[in-house]
Amino acid sequence: MRSRAELRIPVEWVLRAALIAALAFALWRSLESDESHAAGRALDASGLTGALSGLLANPSVSSVDLTLDAMPTQVERDALRAMRRAGVTVNWHGVAPALALEADRLRDPEGRTRLLMKGETTPLALADSAGVLDTVNAASGASVDIQSVVGQVRAGHGRFAASVREPESVPLHAVLVLGRADWDSKFVMSALSEAGWTVRAKIPTAPGVAVSDKDLLPLDTSRYDVVIALDTTAGDFAPAIARFVAQGGGLIAGAEALGIQSLRALAPSSAQERRPGRILLAEDSVTPRDLPLRALTALRGDAVALERVPAGITVAARRAGLGRVITVGYDESWRWRMLGGSSGLAAHRRWWSSAVGAVAPERGIAPDPSGDGAPLAALIDVLGPASASSAKASNAPTNPLPIIILLIIPGALLIETASRRFRGVP
Amino acid sequence: MTDFVFATAQYESGDWDSAPLVPSNVIDSVARYTSIAVAPSGVVVPLSSPSLFRYPLIYLTGHLPVRFSPAERGNLQKYAERGGLLFVDDHNHDIDGVFHKTATEELTRTYGAIHPISNKHPLYRAFFVFEDGPPTTSHELNGWGDNLVHKTLSGVERNGRLVLLYSSKDYSSEWGYHPENKRFMSVDNTKFAVNIVTYALTR
Repeated sequence: MRSRAELRIPVEWVLRAALIAALAFALWRSLESDESHAAGRALDASGLTGALSGLLANPSVSSVDLTLDAMPTQVERDALRAMRRAGVTVNWHGVAPALALEADRLRDPEGRTRLLMKGETTPLALADSAGVLDTVNAASGASVDIQSVVGQVRAGHGRFAASVREPESVPLHAVLVLGRADWDSKFVMSALSEAGWTVRAKIPTAPGVAVSDKDLLPLDTSRYDVVIALDTTAGDFAPAIARFVAQGGGLIAGAEALGIQSLRALAPSSAQERRPGRILLAEDSVTPRDLPLRALTALRGDAVALERVPAGITVAARRAGLGRVITVGYDESWRWRMLGGSSGLAAHRRWWSSAVGAVAPERGIAPDPSGDGAPLAALIDVLGPASASSAKASNAPTNPLPIIILLIIPGALLIETASRRFRGVP
Repeated sequence: MTDFVFATAQYESGDWDSAPLVPSNVIDSVARYTSIAVAPSGVVVPLSSPSLFRYPLIYLTGHLPVRFSPAERGNLQKYAERGGLLFVDDHNHDIDGVFHKTATEELTRTYGAIHPISNKHPLYRAFFVFEDGPPTTSHELNGWGDNLVHKTLSGVERNGRLVLLYSSKDYSSEWGYHPENKRFMSVDNTKFAVNIVTYALTR
């Protein structure tokens, strides 16, 4: 009869065999790890670029779970979109701030860029390729005018940012000023030329006599961006102005110019009787509110009021044909420049330059497709909304087999060694 | 719409009111030749007052030494920056005279260096055409003053526009008569005043 010790010998062989089998299985698993893990991968967005090449080369990946610790770039989003179209389930989760950034080249000779942005409670850091531009609280939206930007503009905080490319420069053409010989005509021309616009003018000074630049006509959008008709002296040009606006040119009409029938047909509103200003009281502190005013009234259905004072609407705009038309109710705006204190000169200049820029034609500047102005919206567009489950998972596979194997190996080794010791075999 | 108002500068030193008939004569010529809406009478404006900025063209003359007060100088600097045009005429027509010496010194201090203006300047074509530059006055060779015919006017430009126009030609004497008396003249000698006003209003 065999002793108990002899009976354990086959058991020890079984344990050795199980140990070797488990080790062999573990070795095979390690060699096949990529394929065996590929069924589902959890990734952090900050390491997405490095992981994407492996994911895209591995056809057995069936799902990707993305943790949003940074904003995926446009290239990364495109890769995820491609995986999705190839049948891979791509989910994401995490909290990302909703950011938006837009860069518009202002139509003024200074070539400034207006950055429009929206962030969350944390102030946005604005930077371009040359360095930091500003820090802006944009929780409820903000805009910043920058003299010049270089390369890519970025607005964000931490690893989350929206970015756009520097917009293309805008070609500008001349501005034609039509008005009588008075201070308003003079200082509108001064303000615009000081702002950098090329100004051409016709200013009648007597019947049949005018101070005029040569070759004013033809009036078309290849030569002019905007016509400013300050008063009824623009009547001679009225048919040409109507054609110019229909082509896409801009028109700024003073309230007095609405006395011209064909300009009235283009204008966004009509104007009330002239109301005296507060010039005599204001001394050297005149603001637009103090100017004489012909308040704008009877706005057309497609017109918008751009500026108001307590006495009424002062500036209104509408589209007419391909062009844009602004009506200005302010009278004697020159007093703002001459009597507006230390800021009046610059404010008057900037106001007129902005008004011209607002109606100047947009010359086919296509939006930059390489921009990433609203990255969270783009991510949702590509991947859908965030996944509800928080799969802050490790990279470990969910299959329990490796754990069982890890238990089998030391267990079998321990039992086999103990059995031999009890038999007195070293 | 703003009527053009002819304004004469009142300054603390000197005899700012030495040519009282010039305003009415210039106003008469502007109304006579142009369609510019012009106020029927001129005004006198202290250089140190904020009222200066209501009149973007202002006329200054005199015989006596000129010294601007700090307030006058500060106002004139702002006036030039904002685009106002100061027309100064030496009533002595004498480049060795006290008005010329002190006024040019003060104006240089206020405006910077004063340079001769080309006789092709738009000023000379703003309404009437003066091919040879500023018209000569009957007073330049009257035996008084420097007895010189000054070929050019002087001035200072900012942003391509005159902000100071300086004359040694004594237009203050030339235009200093009642407008009614123009009918006795074969050639109206105030036409250049129309050019100054037209230039100021259109450039």
